[in-house]
Amino acid sequence: MEPPTATQDRPWVRHYGPIPATLPPPEHPNLAALISASAARFAAQKAFTSCMPNGMNGALSYAQVDDASDAFAVYLREGLGLTPGSRVAVQLPNCLSYPVVVFGILKAGCVLVNTNPLYTASEMTQQFADSGAEALVIVDMFVDKLPEVLPNTAIRHVVVTSLAQFFPPVVRQVVKAVLKHWNRVIPPCRVEATALGQALAKGRQLRQAQGVEVASYWRDLPPESLAALQYTGGTTGIAKGAMLSHGNLLANVTQIEAMAGSHIGDGEECVLTALPLYHIFAFSVNLLAFFKYGAHNVLVPNPRPIQNLQRAIENYPISWISGVNTLFNALLNEEWFTLYPPRRLRAAAAGGTALHAAVAERWEKVTGTPLVEGYGLTESSPVLCFNPLVGVRKPGSIGIPVPGTEIRLVDDAGQPAVRGEPGELAAQGPQVMLGYWQQPEATAQALRDGWLYTGDVAAMDEDGYLRIVDRKKDLILVSGFNVYPNEVEDCIALLDAVHEVGVIGVPDPDTGEAVRAYIVTRAELPPDAVKAHCRQHLARYKVPKQIAFVDELPKSPIGKVLRKDLRAEYLKEHPPTADGSRAC
Amino acid sequence: MLSPLEETLLALMMAVIMLGMGSSLTFKDFRIAMRHPQAIGIGFASQYLFMPLLAFLIGRALQLPPIQAVSLILMGCVPGGTTSNIFAYFSRSLLGLSILMTVCSTLLAVVMVPLVLALYTTGIDAAFQIPSANIIAVLGVLLVPTLLGMWLRRRNANLGACTELMGGILGVVVIVFLIATWVPRNWQLLMTTGPEVYLAAIGLGLCGFVIGYWFSRAARLDPRKARTVSLETGIQNGPLAVLIVTLSFSGDTQQQMLLIPVMYSLFIVINSTFVTFYYRRLSLREELARDQAKVETAAPARG
Repeated sequence: MEPPTATQDRPWVRHYGPIPATLPPPEHPNLAALISASAARFAAQKAFTSCMPNGMNGALSYAQVDDASDAFAVYLREGLGLTPGSRVAVQLPNCLSYPVVVFGILKAGCVLVNTNPLYTASEMTQQFADSGAEALVIVDMFVDKLPEVLPNTAIRHVVVTSLAQFFPPVVRQVVKAVLKHWNRVIPPCRVEATALGQALAKGRQLRQAQGVEVASYWRDLPPESLAALQYTGGTTGIAKGAMLSHGNLLANVTQIEAMAGSHIGDGEECVLTALPLYHIFAFSVNLLAFFKYGAHNVLVPNPRPIQNLQRAIENYPISWISGVNTLFNALLNEEWFTLYPPRRLRAAAAGGTALHAAVAERWEKVTGTPLVEGYGLTESSPVLCFNPLVGVRKPGSIGIPVPGTEIRLVDDAGQPAVRGEPGELAAQGPQVMLGYWQQPEATAQALRDGWLYTGDVAAMDEDGYLRIVDRKKDLILVSGFNVYPNEVEDCIALLDAVHEVGVIGVPDPDTGEAVRAYIVTRAELPPDAVKAHCRQHLARYKVPKQIAFVDELPKSPIGKVLRKDLRAEYLKEHPPTADGSRAC
Repeated sequence: MLSPLEETLLALMMAVIMLGMGSSLTFKDFRIAMRHPQAIGIGFASQYLFMPLLAFLIGRALQLPPIQAVSLILMGCVPGGTTSNIFAYFSRSLLGLSILMTVCSTLLAVVMVPLVLALYTTGIDAAFQIPSANIIAVLGVLLVPTLLGMWLRRRNANLGACTELMGGILGVVVIVFLIATWVPRNWQLLMTTGPEVYLAAIGLGLCGFVIGYWFSRAARLDPRKARTVSLETGIQNGPLAVLIVTLSFSGDTQQQMLLIPVMYSLFIVINSTFVTFYYRRLSLREELARDQAKVETAAPARG
């Protein structure tokens, strides 16, 4: 008899509790319809507040966001002559302009290209050119790179906005003056650009003059039409645009709703958005799902240092927080937070990178509310798994598959892994992307037989809870033995003198690959002490052979250690020789 | 000598500064600061034990004439300045603790200033007594707008933040104002003043920073709190001393008495600016490090 495979009988369904076992169909055909319906339902309520570190703020109601995004949609379609499917790049930090612009793009039937505001000129050029974006909405703080970028792209229209856009007039001037003259972060704009205020005025004027019925833009927009190109570096290094359809994102909103609905009241929530909205996690969870619920969304432009969140948490009745491990960790190190945690808090959701068990435990002790970890990819809109809010939460686990999602663990031979054994996580569901933009090869590699191969190695326990073991590409093969860098990193991180650690595999003439650890220390630490510590806790072949002490580790915008950068740097310094032996 | 108009302006500006300080505060800040009574106690000790003693010793060591010795001791006795809060703010120290120390030392000033002043000036001149009524009047200037500011911030975060910003700017303006009105008229006096007076005016603040910091560190406060106490100790309320002198003396005595407070105010702004930049760098580095610091685990997990 064949041994049972890990996912055969969907053991996780037993733990759904209040979660519906089958996913209800989305209520709307596209995101524009969802936005417009929600705006009509919660019209007078506050939709977004942008809170600066000193407490200065501006706010927009649901009706105001709806009206302004309508105007922006008309501006794109009638003013700029864009057509459905045209790509529009958005390069904004969290601010009130973000929802207005993004909802406008979706209502116009155009395709959103979220772009990290901190990108360098060459990264911007690459992403804009690849996506074929025709228009760009950018914050005034980063316009200095445009003269270099625009000539190499298809962008013909630039709209500029400010962090203080939609703030009360006096406060707006004060914020602008402080940013410009005190912080000196607003460079002069050397390309032809339209201010967002002017664009909206033009949109309103065109709407009236031509009698445009804005809803006609999206009335016939089918769920399979493209909503966003969400770029992801992945592990290969070259950014690819994941094609997310309206249907993908709507399905994920419904799935988030299914998982968290027990802790969300219609029109009652106040959600803190400290993660950047251009990142898929905050985009789907904070921007889309909570908008559907009529929540008040408090946007923080920059959560570093974490002190920047103090006013937002003090001044608003925060009931939900989404974040990554580093954010929760940082909050728990602040006295103002641990002494006075938000009183109305109901739950917090963690994603992006692994949530440390110690952080989750401490969070629940300090706030008295659950902090649940989930898992997903840009390619899956993003949520695939989450720990249930009611019932069993397992620390160190990414939870159970959300309704409507099938999960498989596959071994190296492409066969389903035996229960308890790790295998590459593959997923199927309505939230899985259409493919990579103009990358048939990469698409064929990621989407095989209708399954999205995540590149993450996971293991499932008898309850159906999944645990990420590591990235498949990061796996180190030492004399034929598998070493998962995460396990080695976790072990080294236990040392008090270790601030951060990253582990990679490097070519080795004796063992094929060798384990190499990069350590940022906070106190003196001899390499032998690290090895001795590892020998106590790990099998011999997992103990790092090489140890390098560094000042900092390369990281992604949300704080993941970039092992591929460490590897690239190592290989640059130690180029492998033709016969495969060590160069030095 | 300050004209009545200038005196009123001075009082008015200090009221606005305190309004701004208040609007940067919540009652939570006080409660957080109250959780560290040792910090308040240490602040009190450095404020009323070390500073007057320091002023007294510097006066002795430099053999200052009685009138300057008294005004130097007055400088040492007056409570922490509102400017210390501004510098605490810019140096990213614990604003709540700084303001709490200012408020506490100002409240206690009613008792402590006449007491300590009398102690250190015994045998010098009985004429230099500061009426308690004057101190209470200044207290009103300090506390009412602070509470008003706190209320403003509760009502409207935008109004609070704007008031806070304005108060901070005025805090620097008021010192510039003092210097601009006093220095040109007393050029002659400044030129004929001996180096020992300069040394005293500058040294008092600098020694205060050092003593405040190391005393706090010795008492096991963390570096950030120690920096707060350090600024609070070194920065005395110069404008308050000026106000007290102008309310209590007149004519040539006033002119002579104002020399050290005004010079102290001038140099303390310069010195504090440097110290603030330095402290700010340390604070930022610590904040970023704390962002990434590990949450303490109850027991290390076994791998």
